Amino acid sequence: MIEFELNGRPVTTDEDPATPLLWAVRDTFKLKGSKYGCGAGLCGACTMHVDGQAVRTCVLPISAVAGKSVTTIEGLGTPDDLHPLQSAWVEYSVPQCGYCQSGQIMSAAALLATNAAPSEQDVDAAMAGNICRCGCYPRIKQAILAVADSNTVSDLATEVSS
Amino acid sequence: MSTLNYSRRGFLRASGVAGGGLVVGFSLSGCGGDTALPLKDLPDSFAPNAFIQITPDNVVRFYCPRDEMGQGVTTGLTTLVAEDLDVDPSAFVVELAGAHPDYGNPDFGGMQGTGGSTSIKAHYQQLRQAGADVRAVILDAAAKDLGVARSELSTANGHVVVGDSRHPYGNFVATAATLTVPQDTPLKAPADFQYIGTDFPRLDGMSKSTGTAVYGIDVDVAGMHHAVVVRAPVAGGRVKSFNADAALSMPGVTDVVEVVTGVAVVAEKYWQATQAAKQVDVDWELPALVDVSTARVKADYQAALQEEGEEAAAEGDVTTALAQSAHVLRNEFWAPYLAHAPMEPMNAVVWVRENEADVWSGTQGPGVAQGLVARYAGLDTENVRSHQTYLGGGFGRRATLHNVIEATQASVATNKPIHLLWSREDDIRNGVYRPASMMQIEAGVDDNGKLNVWAAKRVGGNITPETLKNALPGYLPGMPAGVVDWVVGFADSAFEGWVVDGTSVEGLYEDYDTPNVQVSHVTRDHGVPLTFWRSVGHSYTAFAKEVMMDQLAEVAGMDPVEFRLNNLDSKPRLKNVVRIAGEHMAAMQPAPGHALGFAAHSSFSTDVAEVAEVSVENGQIRVHRVLCVVDCGIAINPDVIKAQMEGSVIFGLTAALYGDLDLDQGAIRQSNFHDYPMVRMNEAPEVEVVIVASDAAPTGVGEPGLPPIAPAVANAVYRATSQRLTELPLRLA
Repeated sequence: MIEFELNGRPVTTDEDPATPLLWAVRDTFKLKGSKYGCGAGLCGACTMHVDGQAVRTCVLPISAVAGKSVTTIEGLGTPDDLHPLQSAWVEYSVPQCGYCQSGQIMSAAALLATNAAPSEQDVDAAMAGNICRCGCYPRIKQAILAVADSNTVSDLATEVSS
Repeated sequence: MSTLNYSRRGFLRASGVAGGGLVVGFSLSGCGGDTALPLKDLPDSFAPNAFIQITPDNVVRFYCPRDEMGQGVTTGLTTLVAEDLDVDPSAFVVELAGAHPDYGNPDFGGMQGTGGSTSIKAHYQQLRQAGADVRAVILDAAAKDLGVARSELSTANGHVVVGDSRHPYGNFVATAATLTVPQDTPLKAPADFQYIGTDFPRLDGMSKSTGTAVYGIDVDVAGMHHAVVVRAPVAGGRVKSFNADAALSMPGVTDVVEVVTGVAVVAEKYWQATQAAKQVDVDWELPALVDVSTARVKADYQAALQEEGEEAAAEGDVTTALAQSAHVLRNEFWAPYLAHAPMEPMNAVVWVRENEADVWSGTQGPGVAQGLVARYAGLDTENVRSHQTYLGGGFGRRATLHNVIEATQASVATNKPIHLLWSREDDIRNGVYRPASMMQIEAGVDDNGKLNVWAAKRVGGNITPETLKNALPGYLPGMPAGVVDWVVGFADSAFEGWVVDGTSVEGLYEDYDTPNVQVSHVTRDHGVPLTFWRSVGHSYTAFAKEVMMDQLAEVAGMDPVEFRLNNLDSKPRLKNVVRIAGEHMAAMQPAPGHALGFAAHSSFSTDVAEVAEVSVENGQIRVHRVLCVVDCGIAINPDVIKAQMEGSVIFGLTAALYGDLDLDQGAIRQSNFHDYPMVRMNEAPEVEVVIVASDAAPTGVGEPGLPPIAPAVANAVYRATSQRLTELPLRLA
């Protein structure tokens, strides 16, 4: 039996401890916002926060999150209560197919939580693990830098959870 | 260049059609037209056509007939309806339409498919007309209900306006439902456009920024089991026998069944299915492709260049013209097999019961998905509901639906709802591919810098026959299995004699004025499955054509932009795009050590020119900035067009710099993003987009931004290094 916190709520599961966190979250806890893209930690579509750090959960066994706090895109913000990055994503029409965007936003949120005023190079470095096949990179960068420049930045140091 | 029309009786007839995108014309005479539309069952709703549904609470739904794979079609087509219905596009609830003949693509002969950059072009008049007609009947109903002359009524954003009072459209739907809907209401004049040509946030932006957008992979049905397929190492391999004893003893595993592409392992959880799949032993019967490597493909193509080939286009006297030209150049070009690698791997949820079935999947053809389920479950089409989801990328990949067949077979064999998912390795190694191509161009220029002769040849496989073969069972679900097998088999043999598939040579010769032209095609197909890949033939022909033009400009002693302008008198729109891009290029000031390269190409009725600013550092090509000038007629959503150009440039840059699949004993050597890499944010250029103002009818933007980028980069690399690169991906010596 493995216990952890998922978007602020305690959860338990008795499935195989080797099960990647991504699949426990999607298949057992039915949160579908985090995506499978490669199964090898190469594309970032599965990115969640574990104790505030951006982690590739398609290769992270649930045994590794026992006692830890996991935040998914659903815990970061909702359509009625958007994280500032999500507002910027909508405003700048960042998504195309949209499939990678949960992972992109989680990586960006982890960056801004520790670096409220990143340079373009900081953004490139933090986001290089997230592939967007549609090529939304110019807008992803624009949206992140816009949030960093705005006065909402002080809200970002604290991990948001529901 | 021809297409085949398949009628329900199975007759085939050929008719002329331009290459590009899906080219299957499908006439469903008398079939499906009386089938109920797959609209939401909402009380007291008014749905006068397949596209618009208005409820008394004044919620306006638009059933989007084309598939949203990122190209912005839900935003674009909603804008068309919104304009003449007079409702703000952001106020619509957009539904992804299920399968029904009324959702056919007018540019595909009515087949329900999305591709070929057709959606805006094909639906521009139809959806505006649908909006205008519904607005007219709402006004008729309002005049009746309010007792006011129709001439005193106007509309504003979903409201009927009379004097100072505003009445929601929803107030009049009960009366409207009793009236005749006009069919030919005059459309707004472009000068009166409120929404067309303006920018507003994409309509799918909110759901896609909050993890709430539903893709096929996200569908979750009660009692659903998860399936993965153990696939043949070489495309076309068949199961001889398999041993699943070990797999069946593993936790959660309920069934192991044979499907058309291999052996499906079914378990309660996806992870359990993947672990058990490793324990299945399969004895495969492998096709002749097992003896083929990339080196052999290249050698065979090289040898085939010596053959005369089949004629695709001819004009004038090429032999004489070559002898008389002041400058003659000949060059060969190579482009490899490519996978689409959409971020969402292929998947489908299928639930087959005794007399009915449901399929949920994000596809470029919900009607094909419906037909495939009917065919493989032995049901009538009208008893299969096809539920369309968002597509996590399409790029042509989601028109070939083995995933739907596999899930159907697994559901039939297990009596369970099946969620079937491909791994990324399945996607790279077991998919359908952009064909490899070898091209040869021999061209001559006269003393005035005018192209005198263009002789081109392409060697490779043809896309259309392969795709037809895969899609046919989906179009002919009602036929007895034996007849379908016969048609597919017949198609197979018919296509062996296929002369020239339009998609194979499209873009190789059409853009520039040339009095003497000869284009030929040699078909060489080693059995690698082929399909449409974003911009199709243009994805490789533009590279050959535009690198050749750069070389010809050099031998003619002309500036590359001037040389192109000098040979575009019969293509004023493309010429204008080249002129504008050339002016921007002249004003660009590349950083020290950087070089600029130019390319232009017309595809899918849209004209694009691009300038790439490139540097070469430690043997690595780096693209810093791209200018893109596009003329696509009336710009429906300028920001969506801009996004498509940005995305096409970056998608095309991945192919230009990295995209390469190798065959090793018939198997694709690459398997995931470590050896089939994508351009990432730190490698992505800035992209500046210029949209040419136009009042011409709109044309597509999903693909035309892609073809010019590889040659623009190659031409810049030449200026930076003096190396003329003629093979993709671009690799310095």
